[in-house]
Amino acid sequence: MYQQIAMYATVFFVFLLALAFAFVYGESKRSGEYSTIQEKGYKIRKFYFLGLIAIMAFATVMTLGRLPYDSNQAEAEGLNEGIVVKVTGIQYAWEMSEETFKAGDKVQFDVTASDVTHGFGLYNENMELVAQTQAMPGYTNTVYYTFKEPGTYQILCLEYCSAGHHVMVKEIVVEPEGGASDE
Amino acid sequence: MNEAIHPLARKTVVWHLAVTSLVLILMMIFGVIMLMNQGEMISITPQWFYKIMTAHGTGMVGIAALGGTAILWYFLSKYVKLNPAILIVNFVLFLTGVSMVLIAIFVFDFSDGWTFLYPLPAQSAKMYGAAGAVFFLSGMLVLGFGFLILYMYLAARLTAVYGGLGKALGWDIIFRGKKGYGPPAAVVATAMVIITNSTALLAGATVLAASLVNIINPAVTMDPLLAKHLTYAFGHIFANCTIYMAVIAVYEVLSEYTKRPWKANKVFLIAWNCSTLFTLMIYTHHLLMDFAVPKWMLIIGQVFSYANGLPVMVVTAYGALMIVYRSRMKWDFTSSLFFLSMFGWVAGAIPAIIDATIVVNHVMHNTKWVPGHFHTYMGMGVVAMIIGFMYYFNKTEGNQEHRGIDTFTIALYFVFFMGLVGSFLYAGGISAPRRWSEHLPQWVLSDQVGAVSGIFIVLAAIIFTARFFSGLRCVGSQVPYQKKSAAG
Repeated sequence: MYQQIAMYATVFFVFLLALAFAFVYGESKRSGEYSTIQEKGYKIRKFYFLGLIAIMAFATVMTLGRLPYDSNQAEAEGLNEGIVVKVTGIQYAWEMSEETFKAGDKVQFDVTASDVTHGFGLYNENMELVAQTQAMPGYTNTVYYTFKEPGTYQILCLEYCSAGHHVMVKEIVVEPEGGASDE
Repeated sequence: MNEAIHPLARKTVVWHLAVTSLVLILMMIFGVIMLMNQGEMISITPQWFYKIMTAHGTGMVGIAALGGTAILWYFLSKYVKLNPAILIVNFVLFLTGVSMVLIAIFVFDFSDGWTFLYPLPAQSAKMYGAAGAVFFLSGMLVLGFGFLILYMYLAARLTAVYGGLGKALGWDIIFRGKKGYGPPAAVVATAMVIITNSTALLAGATVLAASLVNIINPAVTMDPLLAKHLTYAFGHIFANCTIYMAVIAVYEVLSEYTKRPWKANKVFLIAWNCSTLFTLMIYTHHLLMDFAVPKWMLIIGQVFSYANGLPVMVVTAYGALMIVYRSRMKWDFTSSLFFLSMFGWVAGAIPAIIDATIVVNHVMHNTKWVPGHFHTYMGMGVVAMIIGFMYYFNKTEGNQEHRGIDTFTIALYFVFFMGLVGSFLYAGGISAPRRWSEHLPQWVLSDQVGAVSGIFIVLAAIIFTARFFSGLRCVGSQVPYQKKSAAG
């Protein structure tokens, strides 16, 4: 969802920006008294500034309550009562204490690394990135995810870790709720 | 013609620009090779891909800093007498550092990325030998030392002329109620860059030295999270400051072209002071997925990354629009590129700000969205400013004139750069990871669009560079009598 919001928001704001530049380019061929332009421009700028502040404040309020690493929030949503999985990144593999899950499982991934820093990126069956955290030696980062849909998920390394970075992939299977499919 | 600049410094500026333009083409070709490999149009080994990636990142940030320095020196010379020896020392140390980096990559197979994230260099040294990592890290130290000398010297000069960096940033107007305008924009921007980049270079030197010690004696270790803080305090700020150096040309030249003043009023000074503070703080948005970092620090990363967009959006870019509006400005190579560079800067800031939102970063960090936004403001912002300055330099110091091919080249560059960054951002939107030598079939089309766009961008860069070198022949020898301005 956030990917789509990011793409549409970028296209929208860049389009507005392009319009502003095109308008000024068009107007650049006319002449005007600069002191008058400045006076008017500074007035408009106040509203423009307040508009930007309002957009930024709205985005801040809407998003800071949903931090992916907020343990209090995870507790409130019962995410920390699920399966705890230890994940260790090592050039170029992922070692996991559990590899098979069921749809509906709430999973707490405790992620670390044993050699260099890696990136734990969880992809769903459509290869859409759904959660991530860094896997850093000496630190354990906890990321929560609820497997709503069955299917084959993949963990990709998202922090450059040398020449085998792109082969650092692990498949994990999420079976349908109530057991594995007969197919 | 800038008569205040020392003739030796003028020559050194030419060397800065010549190296910048040639390395730019080479690094762009490296970028196209990477995209063609990801797009399955050619096939190179992963080892070569990551070596090229390391060279591309280091080289691009390096030449952006080199070109930015040329701009800063050229315009600051109008207001402050500068000793050209310092610029020459900076250039020599830059070339020395770059040579060491190239030896590390292409002779000793160093491929740990320009961000050399600890403890990766030490781990690679165990597998491939220590020479590559030692050459790379030492080369970066030499490079950084060259810039630190430059900034220390500039700090001393601004202190001598303006009474301190605070006064150069207009503190007496902001805090003490002094009336009138602050120092020229070139001085204000230089003061900002001195403060932020010196901090960045000290952070970088610390992590580089610690990594070197760790390779030589593995018993001496460093906390990886602290190392990452220092790495991004260096890398983010240093890359960011390239645009704060290059934008000096926009202030100076658009004001000259429009024959309108662009003075440092109180709002302008507040904006630059905010940029100074925010640029130092917001590197933490590179650590949003390091959950071990204190939550307050990550929230700062989000909130101040938003705030850091305000000075450019509300003051600098808005100021550029206002100064051009109904100005009857002459549109030529320089003015067109500087105008478009402001668009590139803000257009790049938009996806950057969106990605600094923690919930978005959770599903977009280290995807191709990230190179999407920084290529926008580096390629369509910083590089556009540097190329615009090259032409301005040849025009004011020589007699280069705008031709039809220049209009064509600018259009070629910007249209295909939109294609390139569009392909990156789209790939990020469909979760394609960055820094992967091979891509899954669903990501390949975006790579191919990027590669084809890249080929045309290289073509535009070659034409820009050829025009720059051809224009250089007349610099200093055939300046028309009493020619003072590029605008008329």
